Amino acid sequence: MGSQIGFVTVVLMATFWNDAVEFAPILLKGAEVTVMVTITSLILSTFLGLFWALLRTSHIRVLSWISATFVNTIRGIPILVQLFYIYFVLPEIGIQLTAFQAGSIGLGIAYSAYMSEVFRAGIEAIDVGQIEAAHTIGMTRWLVMTRVVLPQAFRIALPPYGNNLIMLLKDSSQTSAITVAELSLESKLIAASTFKNTTVFTMGAIGYLIMSLPLIFLVARLEKRFKRA
Amino acid sequence: MISITNLHKAFGANEVLKGISLEVTQGEVLCIIGPSGSGKSTILRCINGLESYDKGEIRVVGHHVNRDTKQIIWIRTHVSMVFQRFNLFPHRTVLENVIEGPVYVKKEDRTQATIRGRELLKQVGLANKADAYPNQLSGGQMQRVAIARALAMQPMAILFDEPTSALDPELVGEVLSVMRNLAEQGMTMLVVTHEMAFAKEVADRVIFLDGGVIVEEGPPREILVNPRQDRTRDFLRRVMHVK
Repeated sequence: MGSQIGFVTVVLMATFWNDAVEFAPILLKGAEVTVMVTITSLILSTFLGLFWALLRTSHIRVLSWISATFVNTIRGIPILVQLFYIYFVLPEIGIQLTAFQAGSIGLGIAYSAYMSEVFRAGIEAIDVGQIEAAHTIGMTRWLVMTRVVLPQAFRIALPPYGNNLIMLLKDSSQTSAITVAELSLESKLIAASTFKNTTVFTMGAIGYLIMSLPLIFLVARLEKRFKRA
Repeated sequence: MISITNLHKAFGANEVLKGISLEVTQGEVLCIIGPSGSGKSTILRCINGLESYDKGEIRVVGHHVNRDTKQIIWIRTHVSMVFQRFNLFPHRTVLENVIEGPVYVKKEDRTQATIRGRELLKQVGLANKADAYPNQLSGGQMQRVAIARALAMQPMAILFDEPTSALDPELVGEVLSVMRNLAEQGMTMLVVTHEMAFAKEVADRVIFLDGGVIVEEGPPREILVNPRQDRTRDFLRRVMHVK
């Protein structure tokens, strides 16, 4: 009896490894797309988010209102629906995007709303007195922003920014719904054709963990560092 | 050098300045005293364009002060300000705080600015703190850095907004002594303060402000020792803690 269980385990393990070796190249391709989508949308969401945050904190009512409206609208719509909109609705007004482009841009725009809130919190944490002091040594608004406000705001924003990055990595799986061949879609396709659900999805999950765990540790370290400062 | 004519300023319905006129001449130390809420700080903030004003005029060596024009940068690089709460840049070292204006606003050569920055720190007694960060300093040290930062702009005048009010009593002296040295070197200074002893000793002229108007002005001996107005006398009695 005991030896039978042992035998079955060995066979299962061997099959697992055989399958794993077979699926790995496809899943790695998927992981590569996941990383590409994440990086592209991270860059887009960072710049766009900073832009919204600067508008929001500009003290110019119209700009602030535009930014707040955009951010709240985006935050109030599920990412999946936004992706559908960009991929399926935009072509109707003549804007054709590949799945990768639509996925990256869609995620980038969605996350720009979250990023902008992170940056805004950082900017608003800077003491008004420092900004006044910067003005009294003759700094222009540009210098006040780039020399005094933003360097400090970025440090404050870094831990929540890192958290958003981890969420973004995982949310990149949502682009599978518009046929971006990233890790989760590749997993699903292999599983559907081989019925090796356990092997494939375990590998997919491990793939995401391998990518996100280093980020999680990095963010934890950053948080500790800034708590001390 | 600084001339203010009929200055009016209101925050909403609250009229803080009700027609202030005053003149600061080159090399003069003018102290403004008065109860809190009398508009002392607001005058300084208007001179430097941190606040707009509703009526009247402020001129600095003939240049009209208007915070909505580019001219304000010129005013600010020639008239420095020291704040009650120091307002140093916490992400930069002491030396970097001091040379920030010269290097980034006046585009001076960094090496030259650094040499002068170190001299200024020596002048305020903080030569050994050049590489420290503001949060490693005491309040008195931070305020002396703020004064060095103001001096680094090579200003024509410095505005001091209650520079010792946020300090522990035992740290007030070191800041006042730096200010006394500046006065002796002929720096034009407009000082809002509660330090009556300092005003008496260092000021050329004292203005007593109450309810947004100048109640009395004159040499410190006159205003602080033999005030003519009852309001001045009341105020002095209260701040001197004597019956």
